[in-house]
Amino acid sequence: MTPLLKDRRLIVSAAVFLLCLGIPAAVRDTFVLRMCTEAFMWIGLAVTLDVMAGYTGYLNFGHQAFFGIGAYATAILMMKSHWPFPLALAAGGALAAAAALVIGIPTLRLKGSYFAIAVWALARAIQQFALIVTFTGGPDGMRLTAFLDPRFFFYVMLGIVGATFFALWFLLERAPFGLKLKAIREDQESAKALGLNPTTLKIQAFILSAVPTALIGGVFAYWVTFIDPSSTLGDLISDQAIVMLVFGGMGTLIGPVIGAVLIFSFKTLFWAYLSQYEVLYIIILGAVIAASVVFMPDGVLGRFIRKGLRRAARPEAPPAAAAGKEA
Amino acid sequence: MELLPQALVDGIMLGAIYIAIAIAFSLVFGVLHVIDFAVGEWIMLGAFAGFYLNLWAKIDPFLTLPIVFVVFCGVGYLLQPVIQRVLSGHKGNPLLMALVFTFGLGMIFRGTAQTFFGFYSHSIPSHFSNGSFFFEKGAFFLTISSVRLAGLIYAGLITLILNYLLKYTDFGLAVRALAQNKEAAGLMGVNNRRTNKVLYALYTGITAMTGVLIGIIISVNTKMGAEYSIFAFFVVVLAGMGYLAGVPAAALLLGIIQSMFLVYLDPGWTLLAVFGILYLILVVSPTGLFGKGWV
Repeated sequence: MTPLLKDRRLIVSAAVFLLCLGIPAAVRDTFVLRMCTEAFMWIGLAVTLDVMAGYTGYLNFGHQAFFGIGAYATAILMMKSHWPFPLALAAGGALAAAAALVIGIPTLRLKGSYFAIAVWALARAIQQFALIVTFTGGPDGMRLTAFLDPRFFFYVMLGIVGATFFALWFLLERAPFGLKLKAIREDQESAKALGLNPTTLKIQAFILSAVPTALIGGVFAYWVTFIDPSSTLGDLISDQAIVMLVFGGMGTLIGPVIGAVLIFSFKTLFWAYLSQYEVLYIIILGAVIAASVVFMPDGVLGRFIRKGLRRAARPEAPPAAAAGKEA
Repeated sequence: MELLPQALVDGIMLGAIYIAIAIAFSLVFGVLHVIDFAVGEWIMLGAFAGFYLNLWAKIDPFLTLPIVFVVFCGVGYLLQPVIQRVLSGHKGNPLLMALVFTFGLGMIFRGTAQTFFGFYSHSIPSHFSNGSFFFEKGAFFLTISSVRLAGLIYAGLITLILNYLLKYTDFGLAVRALAQNKEAAGLMGVNNRRTNKVLYALYTGITAMTGVLIGIIISVNTKMGAEYSIFAFFVVVLAGMGYLAGVPAAALLLGIIQSMFLVYLDPGWTLLAVFGILYLILVVSPTGLFGKGWV
C-alpha cells in the first residue's frame, strides 16, 4: 500500500477540497453558490451509493429513502419539536442508521437482485407512507423556517460531503474494511471461508452508506425550506445518483465524483435551455445509463482517465481478464 | 360479510393477471439470472400498443393480443443479445450491470411513453366491457364481469401453454437444462444464446400482451409500469425466486390481499401492506412461501 502522503489520488482530492473551500471568497454570485451546493449534494449521494454498489456489490435502488428520512426527520424535529438544526440533523442520521439496520437484516442475507427489489419496493412504500400520514403534511409537504444564507449551506454541505468522502476513503481504501467488502463482492463463500461474517459486514456498509445520505437530506430540507414526498422521497433522486455512479465508474471513490459533476452540469444546462422538454431528460438519463453499461462498464474514470494515466506511466499492459463472479 | 365472496372472487381474478405477468418473469429470471427491472414498462408499452391499435385500426382489443405478442416478441428477440453481451462481460459484476441495464431501459421506455402518449389515463374499450354475470341466492350475491373472466381464462391458457412448452418440448428441455447448469447444458449441445433469445422474446411478448389485457380490464397510463413491476417482484419473491410452480398461489394471494384492502381497509395502505408481507417473508423464509426458491 502506498504511504498516505504519497497517495496521489488522495492528494489531488484534498487539493480539490481545499479549492472548493475558497469558492465563496472568490465568487459573490449566489446562483453559483447554489449550484455548487447542489453539486456537492449529488457528489455525496453518488459516493454513498457506491459504498453499497461498487464496493459491496449490492445496488441500492431505494437510496432516496434515506435521503427522505433525513429530510423529514430534520424538518419534523425542527418545526414540531423546535429542536436546533444540528441536533435535528444528528437525529435524522441516527434514524437512518436504525432504518438501515432494520432493512438490512433480512435483505442483506440474500443475493444482490433480491436486495435491489426489496429496497426499491420499500422506498416506494415509504414515499406512500409519507403521503398518507398526517405528521409529514401528506402531499402538501412541509415548510421550514427560512434561513437564507447561501454561504452557511455551502459550507455545511461541503463539510458533510467532504468529511464523508475522506472518511470513506480511509475506511474503504486504507483500512481492511474496504478489502473485506471487496472480498464479499467477489466471492461471498470464499469470504466466509476466510472467517469473515458477510451479513454483519454488509449491514455495516449499509449503515455507512445510509447515515451520510440522511445528513445530506437534512441539510437539503433546511436549505430549500420546503420538502414534499416527491422532492425528497421520489425515485428521480436515486435514478440520477445511479446514473452518476455508473457513468462515472463504480467501485472507486473518485468515479462517482466525476460522474456527479458531469451529469449535474449536464442537468443544469438542460434545465436552463431545454426545460420545455422535461421528459426528454428521463430518456437521456436512461440512454446514458444503458450505454455506459454496454460500452464502458468501468465508467468515464476507467474508460478514459485511468487508461490515459496508465498509458502515460508505462507501456500498455494486457488487461487482467478477471472473470466476474456473482454478488 | 355479504361482500366477502365478492372480494374473494375479485381478488382471484386480479391475481390471475399477476400470474400471467409473473410466470414469464420468473422463467426469465430462472434462466438468465437477471431481474428485468423494465417488466412494468413492457406491460405499459404493450397496453399502449393495444390502445392505439384499437383507436386507429378499430380492431377489437382481444384480436390485438396476438399482434402485440408477435411485435413484442420481435423486440425482445432483437434486444436480448445486448443483455447477453452485458451478462458475458468479464469486468466487474455482470449480473449487477445487467440489472442496471434493464433499469436504464425502463427509464427510456417510461420517458418515451410520457413524451408521446401524454399523462392521461385511458382504457381500451371492448365489446365485452359491459357484460357481466350475476348470481344471487338469498343474502349471497356475486357479480363477475366478463372481461375479468376473460383475464382468468387467459392466465390459465398462458400457464398451460408454458407448462406444455417447458415439459414436453425440446425447447423446454433446453430451458430447464440451462436453468440447472449453464456450462453442462452447453456441453450437451444446448445452444445457449439462441435459447436465451427465444426465451426472452417469449417473455417480452407475453408481458406486453398481458399489458393489453390490463388495459381492457383496468386502465392504461404512462405511470402504470412501476406498480406492476412491484407486484411482479412481490409474486416472484413470495413464490421463491426461480420456482415456477409457486407463482400461481403467490399471485392469487396478492390479488386477494389487494381486493381485501380495497373492500375492507384503506386502499392507500395496500402498497405498505404488500411491502410488510414481503419483508416478513424475507425474514422468515428467504426462499419464498414454499421454501423452494433460490437464496
